[in-house]
Parts: sequence; structure tokens; C-alpha cells
Amino acid sequence: MFTIYQWIFLGGFAICLISCLIQFFKVILSGLPKDFSHPLGKTLPAIFYSFTGAMSPTKKETAYLHLPTYMAGIIFHVGTFLGFFYLIILFFNIQLPEWLDYSSAIFLIISAICGLSILIKRMLVSKLRNLSNPDDYISNILVTGFHILLAATILNNQILAVLLIYSTLLFLYLPIGKLRHTIYFFTSRIHLGFFYGWRGVWPIRKHNI
Amino acid sequence: MRAKLSEKQQKALNLFDSKLNGKFITHLNSCVHCGLCGESCHYYLATKDERFMPARKVDLVGSIYRRYHTFAGRFLPKLVGARDLNDETIEEMVDVLFGACTMCGRCSVHCSIGVDVPFLVRTARSMLVEMDLVPKGLQSTVDAAINTGNNMGIPRDEFVDTLEWLEEDLQMEVEDDNAEIPRDQKGKKIMYTLNPREPKFFPLSISAMAKIYYAAKESWTISTNTYDVTNYSYYSGDNEGARELTDRLCKEMKHLGTETLVLAECGHGSRAIRWEGPNWIEKKYPFTVITVIEVIADYIRSGRIKLDPSKNTQLITLHDPCNLVRAGGIVEEQRFILKNAVENFIEMTPNRENNYCCGGGGGQLAMSEYNERRVDSGRIKADQIRATGAKIVATPCHNCIDQLMGLNIDYKLGVEINTIGEIVANALVLD
Repeated sequence: MFTIYQWIFLGGFAICLISCLIQFFKVILSGLPKDFSHPLGKTLPAIFYSFTGAMSPTKKETAYLHLPTYMAGIIFHVGTFLGFFYLIILFFNIQLPEWLDYSSAIFLIISAICGLSILIKRMLVSKLRNLSNPDDYISNILVTGFHILLAATILNNQILAVLLIYSTLLFLYLPIGKLRHTIYFFTSRIHLGFFYGWRGVWPIRKHNI
Repeated sequence: MRAKLSEKQQKALNLFDSKLNGKFITHLNSCVHCGLCGESCHYYLATKDERFMPARKVDLVGSIYRRYHTFAGRFLPKLVGARDLNDETIEEMVDVLFGACTMCGRCSVHCSIGVDVPFLVRTARSMLVEMDLVPKGLQSTVDAAINTGNNMGIPRDEFVDTLEWLEEDLQMEVEDDNAEIPRDQKGKKIMYTLNPREPKFFPLSISAMAKIYYAAKESWTISTNTYDVTNYSYYSGDNEGARELTDRLCKEMKHLGTETLVLAECGHGSRAIRWEGPNWIEKKYPFTVITVIEVIADYIRSGRIKLDPSKNTQLITLHDPCNLVRAGGIVEEQRFILKNAVENFIEMTPNRENNYCCGGGGGQLAMSEYNERRVDSGRIKADQIRATGAKIVATPCHNCIDQLMGLNIDYKLGVEINTIGEIVANALVLD
């Protein structure tokens, strides 16, 4: 039988899931744009490339010019996905090997440091500070806090109730702030891949001339 | 409490709402304000003005969406940076989205998420069209095209005269009295378009193409009524105007009974006609559309023309027009042509889909109020050119040529700017 905290968590998660699904299907159901022009390339390989080669630090300028920030962002996001996985493990009280728990907790602490460093950069660099709104800070703090709390809960299961309440807040905030990019990142890459694929720009052709 | 909108502001917002399909919603919601895009934009790189960062431009459009279409934006606008469509927002839109963006798309290629920035900027420009806020110079260019049939307002007689004396020159050059620049001839294979700047200021680029068509024994014609390859409505955001200009070309193709529309060396014109045009008229073209770059490359591959690269000995570099390359997929053809037509070729760095905009796109050359910014933003391209050590810069785009000619003077580059056609014509071997 679930505890009251688990029910609260499930309620928050359900609201988040339904809200995200509504937003996702709103975009998906409108389909890819109808394009009457004659295509020069293929869209499927381009969409695949959009998620793979085009994201690579060797191709993406925003990555290779800002490698520390890019890597911090990658680790932060991997930590978040690991966090969601561990949330399920903890929620259902599934026992994992001790070494896995410890290494996951360490990774979550590292990813939290990455999140924190991105937050500090946002506060210190003028161009980022002026670009930001409260949502940018709240989103980062919520997720970084989630990593820290999760690592603590993995090491000490007694604070599971705190984690569940905190995660509920995170889930309730996710659909209304910039954390929505959880949904739109994927549709954005699809649209971009479609655009460049249709016009024969992506995937990048070999320079064989 | 949201501010009350004027009639024009409401009209602009209605247009915004009507565009809210999956693609638009996606790109409005995707930016995470990572701010890494700044270094991908020639405006930001050259000026370090934070307002010109692509993320700020996206945020400007996104803030309107958030205010009128999201829960948080309606009830807690400051939390998510949602903004009313008021005079202050609109003034910033005009200044930044018209005056500091060429819609070159370099930021989109490198965006962490993949936000289609030019798509958002153009949609926002369409809102400004609804409010009659297109900068005067750009609007008058659109008006000239709609009212006179070409964006420079060249009278038909003057255009015909120009073609006639160019034809005489061609006959003398190739020593063949039958050589011609065909005008309004029905049933030809190709209808060739021109950038009106060619008859007005650069007639030699028309001669160059006429010589190439002559050497290839092509079946071609120019319409003296509808020949303008440009479509500045694409830049202004005027969808009605864009549709009208596209429709005229379609009607002329039908009238002349030609099967292939060949687009002159014009970046935005190629994009507007080939890629956007069918969507403006909401139907597929009943004819083939191809750029002249692909045509020349095909002539070389098939042996229809022969080139002698020793006729072009100086070091030549290539500027990739954003709309032709990054947004048009014509990436390797111009390189293939140059490697057959010149002895010494050097790439700029970066190049191809990663090229920097020269600063002449987005309608900037028609908006004199932003001249200083345009020239400043061109510094990135000027530095690229200087680094190659080239004596000639080739580019298949007349907008780019205009901007590069200006940069050549402003940054004392000491180079010559040519079209691809001119370089090929110079290397032609006539039987």
C-alpha cells in the first residue's frame, strides 16, 4: 500500500504527464509542415542526422567553442535522466547492488555541481544574466536540488518522503516553465532535420568534388 | 492585466495566432536561454551588442507567445519573461528583427536545441507588415516589384534596349551574327530570370550568361515582362506580396510555354522562388525550377561547354550565400564549377553550411537606416576574405556582391568581386 507521500507524488506526476502529453500531441498531431516545393534531399536521414551528427561537438559550434559549458550541460542532463530512473527505483523500493547506488550517488553529485556551475555562469556573465528571467533560475535550482536530494536519498533512504514531495513540486513546475523543453527539444530537432533534409543540406555530403 | 491592443496590434496578433502550427509552437517553446548562440551570429560577433544575440531575438518573439498563449505568461508574466505586444515591444521588434538580422540561419545550424531562428524572425516581420512597420526602403523595394514588375522599377523599353545592345556585343565577341539574347520567345526549354541590378548596374553578368548559353547551344529566353528573380516580400514578411510575385512568374512560364525556370545568381531569390514560392501559392509548380549554378555545373559535366582554367590564374575564393547554400542545398556545385574554371582556388574558413553571412541579406541593403550596422556586421566576412589572400571573390548572389563590393571599399580588401557566370564565361573555350 502506498504512503500519503507516494500518493501526492503520483498525483503530481500524473498532472505533469498529462500536461506534457497534451502539449506533445498538440505539436505531433499538427504534423510536419506541408511543403509544396520539390525536395532536393531525404528527410528521414536528415532527421536522424539532426539527433546525431549535427549534435556532435565536432560539428556544432556552440559545443566546440564552449566545450566546458557544453559538457556540463550534457552531464547535467544525463544526471537528470539517471535521477528519473532512480526515482522509480526508490519509489518501488527496488534493491540495487550497493556499488551501483554509490556510483550513481557520486554521479548525481557531479551532475549537481555541473548544474550549479551553469547557474553561477548565468548569474555572473552579463549577456546571460540579461537574457534570463526568473524561470531560468527556478528551473535550474529545482533540477539541481533534485540531483542533490536524490543522491542524499540513495545514501539515506530515511528522507524518501522529502524527495517525493520535492519531486512533486518539480513535476508540477515542469509543464509551465522552460523545463518544457523536455518535450520541445525532440520536436525541434525533428523540424530542423526535416527542413534541412528536404532542401538537401543535411546530412552533410562528403566533399568529393 | 494585459494591455489593451490597438486595432493594428490586434491584427498583428491575429496573424501570429493564425500561424500557430506544430512547427511554430515548437520553435517558440524550445529556447533554453543557454546563450551559446551569440558567437554564431555575425551581428553579435562584430558588435558585441547583447540585443543582437539570436536567443534575444527568439525571446522577443517567444515572449509574445508566452503572454498570450501560456498559463504562466497570462498570470505570472514576469516569471517567464512574457511581454505585452505594446509600443515598447514593437519598437524593439523593428529595431532588432529588421535592423539586426539577415535571417541567414547560421545560429539555427549551431543552436543547442535546434530553434529555427529565421523562421521565427520572418513570422515576426509578418506581424510588423500587419502594423505597416516595414522599414521604408525595404517596403519601397517590395512596392516597386509589385507595381512595375521589377524591384528597381526599370521601364520595359529600357530593359529591352539593354538586352539589344548586349546582344550586339555578344555577336561581336563570339563573331557570330546569329548569336542572340532571346526575348519573349515561346516554346524554349529555359526561361532565364535576372536580378534587376544586372540590367541596371551589372550588364556584364547578363553577357556572361548569354555567352555560356551560346556555347552550350541552349534553348532559352528571357521574359521582358516578368524576369525579376528577387522577391523582397520574403524579407519584408509580406506573404500577400510574395504570393503575387510568385504567381506572376508561374503565369509567365505558362504564357511562354517553357519547361524549366532557371534562377539567376541570387541567394534569396533562389530560396524564395524554389523553396518558399510553392508554399505561398499553396500548390506544386507545373514546371522545373533550377538554379543557374546547377545548370552550369551540368554543362561542364556533360561536356556541353569546355573551360580553360588557365584563363583565370589569380587566386579565387568563394563566398557561400546563406539562402542558396545553408537554406538551399546548393553546396558543392559552385565548387565543382570553380575547380574547373580557375587555376587557383582557396576556401574561406568556415565555409559551406557554416559560412558567415556577408551582412547583405535579410533586406539589409534596402534598409538605409541600418547601414552602419550592416557594414559593421560585415567585418567578420571581411576578415575571412583577407585571411585567404585571394585576389578575386566569387559569389553566386547579387545581394552578396553588392555587400562585398561595399566591404571591399570599407575594409580596404583590394579584391575583385565576380559572379560565377563571369568567371566561367572568362574561361570558356568556343569552338
